Amino acid sequence: MLNIYLTIVLAPLIGSIVVGLAGNQLGRTLSHSITILGVAISTVLSLYVFNHHVLNDADIFNQNIYTWMQIGGLNISVGFLVDNLTSVMLVVVSFVSLMVHIYTIGYMHDDKGYTKFFSYISLFTFAMFTLVISNNFMQLFFGWEAVGLVSYLLIGFWHHKESAIEANLKAFLVNRVGDFGFLLGIALVLMFFGTLDYAEAFSQKDQIIGQTLFGGSAITVVCLLLFVGAMGKSAQVPLHVWLPGSMEGPTPISALIHAATMVTAGIFMVSRMSPLFELSDTALMVVMIIGAITALFMGLLGIVQNDIKRVVAYSTLSQLGYMTVALGVSAYSVAIFHLMTHAFFKALLFLAAGSVIVALHHEQDIRKMGGLRKKMPITYITSLLGTLALIGFPGFAGFYSKDMIIEAVHYSDLPYAGWAYVAVLIGVFITAFYSLRLLFLVFHGESRVDSHTEEHLHETGSSITVPLILLAIPSVVIGYLTIEPMLFGGWLDNAITIDSSHQAVAELKGHFYSAFALLTHSVVTPPFWMMVGGAVSAWVFCLYRPDWADQIQSRFKRTNYVLNSLYGFDRLNDIVFVKGSVKLGNLLWKISDMTLIDKVIVNGSAKLARYLGVLIRPVQTGYVYHYAFFMIVSLMLVLGWVLIASDYSFFG
Amino acid sequence: MEFTSILFYVFSLFFVGSSFVMITSRNTAKAALWLILTFFSAASLWLLLEAEFLAITLILIYVGAVMVLFMFVIKMLDTEESTLRAQFTRYLPLGIFVSLVVIVQMALVLNAGPFDLESVGMPEQHGASYSNITAIAQQLYTVYVYPFELAAILLLIAIIAAITLVHRTQVNSKKQNITEQINVQAKDRMRFASINKKSKKESK
Amino acid sequence: MIALSDYLILSSIVFCIGLAGIFINRTNIIMILMCVELILAAVNTNFIAFSFYGSDLAGQIFVFFILTVAAAEVAIGLAILTLMYRNRGSIDIDVTNTLKG
Repeated sequence: MLNIYLTIVLAPLIGSIVVGLAGNQLGRTLSHSITILGVAISTVLSLYVFNHHVLNDADIFNQNIYTWMQIGGLNISVGFLVDNLTSVMLVVVSFVSLMVHIYTIGYMHDDKGYTKFFSYISLFTFAMFTLVISNNFMQLFFGWEAVGLVSYLLIGFWHHKESAIEANLKAFLVNRVGDFGFLLGIALVLMFFGTLDYAEAFSQKDQIIGQTLFGGSAITVVCLLLFVGAMGKSAQVPLHVWLPGSMEGPTPISALIHAATMVTAGIFMVSRMSPLFELSDTALMVVMIIGAITALFMGLLGIVQNDIKRVVAYSTLSQLGYMTVALGVSAYSVAIFHLMTHAFFKALLFLAAGSVIVALHHEQDIRKMGGLRKKMPITYITSLLGTLALIGFPGFAGFYSKDMIIEAVHYSDLPYAGWAYVAVLIGVFITAFYSLRLLFLVFHGESRVDSHTEEHLHETGSSITVPLILLAIPSVVIGYLTIEPMLFGGWLDNAITIDSSHQAVAELKGHFYSAFALLTHSVVTPPFWMMVGGAVSAWVFCLYRPDWADQIQSRFKRTNYVLNSLYGFDRLNDIVFVKGSVKLGNLLWKISDMTLIDKVIVNGSAKLARYLGVLIRPVQTGYVYHYAFFMIVSLMLVLGWVLIASDYSFFG
Repeated sequence: MEFTSILFYVFSLFFVGSSFVMITSRNTAKAALWLILTFFSAASLWLLLEAEFLAITLILIYVGAVMVLFMFVIKMLDTEESTLRAQFTRYLPLGIFVSLVVIVQMALVLNAGPFDLESVGMPEQHGASYSNITAIAQQLYTVYVYPFELAAILLLIAIIAAITLVHRTQVNSKKQNITEQINVQAKDRMRFASINKKSKKESK
Repeated sequence: MIALSDYLILSSIVFCIGLAGIFINRTNIIMILMCVELILAAVNTNFIAFSFYGSDLAGQIFVFFILTVAAAEVAIGLAILTLMYRNRGSIDIDVTNTLKG
């Protein structure tokens, strides 16, 4: 089995290196074939691993492959931990990556950096695998940083575009802030448990219960710091500001990285650390609250966006908030379930958006689209399926996962869980609203497309549409098929620990009968009616009476302004952190560097030496008898001192 | 009062007295002569302390060679008395004060310490057949032979140093001074001489 | 009986006289050198006194070497003095302060 795991991880890496180094010589066809072959091998093997571990219930594989270094008692090595959680993640990552690889053939067809792009996305796949399959914090962090790095490279892929460069720097810096917290968390883990290996650390977790750190409970601090890392990577408020900017990169990477895989690394990490998080109710509460805030407020922002990719980006942010809320109420399996379904339908939505963009010759403003369903049927149908999954239409994948999250929050008894429940419930309305607004504005209604583009408008090639179809299938069925085993059938039991005081999932289980029952029961649940309300509102404001939308916009100018300025996060970051850093740098330069170090210390010490020299110089008179006299007088003084110090014992 | 004690006081009186006169004398040559007397008293004291070899050595070498050298130099150089006396009295009080203080301190220290007759005790006097030279030689050529050799080398170095310092003329060496040669200019080697027109006519 | 302390006091008196001599006769280099000889004589007496009263011959050996070194020192000192006189025309100490700081 070890060889299979190694092949899964290394096949994309080899593809990436070969194409990265020799891409120009190999030519386009051969480059994309090599990388796709690598990722396809990983996909097939991941399915085999899934079958082996999850369906056939094999033992957990935990082994150190290679000892990187040994520092004192600390052993840092490369190791694989393959249990059910890993298997699920491997399948998701490899499948979506394969779809994106195939999609890229058509999407980046005209681009000069074709082979470089394939190399990067294969490299990303490798990094994500490393992160997911790791059995210790250090390798996790390596994978974490590596996906951040490749994300940076890919966002700024069109490096001649200034907005892309700004965006990729922003993404990297914000990620860095998260990584800083993450690294502190890892350091604390090392401090308290003495090891970076998951299994060893978790086996000692009970020792940390009573300890305190800086006045707070130690485990809370550790968990919060680890969550800061998750906040950076999974774009929770306030470290969410980089995700909309990351839309500057080509659409395939928006689908791969910023919808399905990298941003879910944070969710994965918290699930992996469930034994630790379960020990701290405070940390879980914070996680839940931040997730609820993200889910609600990011969804609101999705309503006012006019760029097709940004709508989907804010939708991603909102759905990540849902996953985080699920983590907060200790419903880890539900969060992973939603992660999986979301990966499929969000990747589908991004790729469909990309298909529209390519068809309209890189036009991204939805105010210039409309009525595309007649000319692009496949794209329309797959988008429709994805949207229905997203809004939680009964029977589709998203319905099962989102509803489970909402109910889990409902059953949770953490403080503020009630408020979180209200937030995620309203979020359903908002999700339905913006998703259907997007669908209607792009595919329905009258065409606002530029007439020149409209003449050439046709469905995109098969390399683009085939992945769309292949992603649409799981978006529809996978919820129905996997909800029972994953949440209640113990698929993830050997990876996730839930403390007995957190009863949310147990209650869910108590109320669950079957997937079909859930489907039929849905019409009496609040989320269903929220969704319907949102859908109807979208229809009204976008198709039926669009002028009402304009009226509301002009009436609620202030709200509109707040939403359009994205709650001012960007401005806050700019003023406080960017300008503040520049000012601090200037201050330090002027005061600390110029004055303190140069003038006082460097010049000052030279001046002091010279001054002392000037003081002492006259002693050297040049006359020998002066020197002799000094010697004699010193002799006299020393003798006197010795006599006195001997307590006047010479008297008597 | 034993005879040796009387001798000790007489010799030490000469020792201190002649040294005092030496430092206060105005004439350098006379000072040298007083110093010679000081050395003689020192040698006598050493004889009292049964260091015959060193006493004789002091006379032979110190007085016989070193002081003679001193006399040579004193007579050779011109020691102007006027400038030398100028500041004599100005620092006299201070010098005497410092010396007195040190003497008093030393006396205090030495009387109180373990140097008394009771602590140290009188050593046994050697008999008449005791030979100081033999005793010294036995120590010097066995235990202290290394310093002995070093002392010899030191004297050699002193000779070489003294000669090198004083001899006037450079050894005749045909050494080239390249810098000088390069910096030569035409005016150092040539000069234009004007020839009188008259003399030219005359020679024709 | 003459104790060791008597010899030591004698030696320190002569030592201080020598010091005072240096201080008083500072302008005349030859006088300085002779006062140095005086100091050395006092120190030698000290050593020999200790050698006698301690019954250890090491003191006398040391005096032997002091005599050697003193002779060498006088030779070189006088050579320097001669040179100085030759270069500057007098042995006044006020002209020898070129090591002034």
